[in-house]
Amino acid sequence: MGGADTDQPVIKAVTEVRVADWRAAVRAACQPLVDAGAVEARYADRCVDMVEEHGPYMVLAPGLALAHARPEDGVNRLCLASATLAEPVSFGHPDNDPVDVVLAFGSPDDSSHIGLLQKLAEHLLSGLADTLRQAPDQATAVQALSNVVGDL
Amino acid sequence: MNQANRELKVLTVCGVGMGSSLILRMNAEKALSTLGVSAKVEHTDVSSARSMKADVVIAQGLHTDDLTGVAPVVIPISNFMDVDGLRQQLDEALRGQGWL
Repeated sequence: MGGADTDQPVIKAVTEVRVADWRAAVRAACQPLVDAGAVEARYADRCVDMVEEHGPYMVLAPGLALAHARPEDGVNRLCLASATLAEPVSFGHPDNDPVDVVLAFGSPDDSSHIGLLQKLAEHLLSGLADTLRQAPDQATAVQALSNVVGDL
Repeated sequence: MNQANRELKVLTVCGVGMGSSLILRMNAEKALSTLGVSAKVEHTDVSSARSMKADVVIAQGLHTDDLTGVAPVVIPISNFMDVDGLRQQLDEALRGQGWL
């Protein structure tokens, strides 16, 4: 590892995903990041554990969940992924169920974490979730996510 | 009661303390600045928040039962993208406490 290209954030998207429940939805969003080596497999487990422990607090808005854990939970590189679901699933959130867009991100340190989240929050406020919902294919979704990290 | 001569201390809280609570902190800072309130906003996780003191706690509604006593004002949030709704909740709560 090393070199400039490996410092680039990893951006992945899966669309029209079919999952049985929220756990599978969180794993679906994390899996492309695991496959790319951006996070370790335990990161996805940890994201599921956080909801088991604390409830569905990651469900931030109607239809939208943001899966994440801490840098020390197995993050190798800054990364962001989305899974848009063919059929929405329930996370058990009192107001925001059902969820059809799951974002997952990982960051190797606190400063990149804050930078990415700031950009993500801005883009979510400007309609990123709907852009992802309406993305006809993975490339369009990846482009939308690339715009988030593009001005980091 | 006029409390406007000191800085408001605000905690935004979520499960892991560095994802949704951070987004909530940014939204709270925006909303408070719109209201013209001088505030120090920090984000943290539920367990840490239980041992902290603040004037206002903002968290997912599903966490607020755990946060009783941390602050005189506890604001439940369900839609993190609704900054204007947060501003209205803060406006009402801060007026009730003499901050506005």
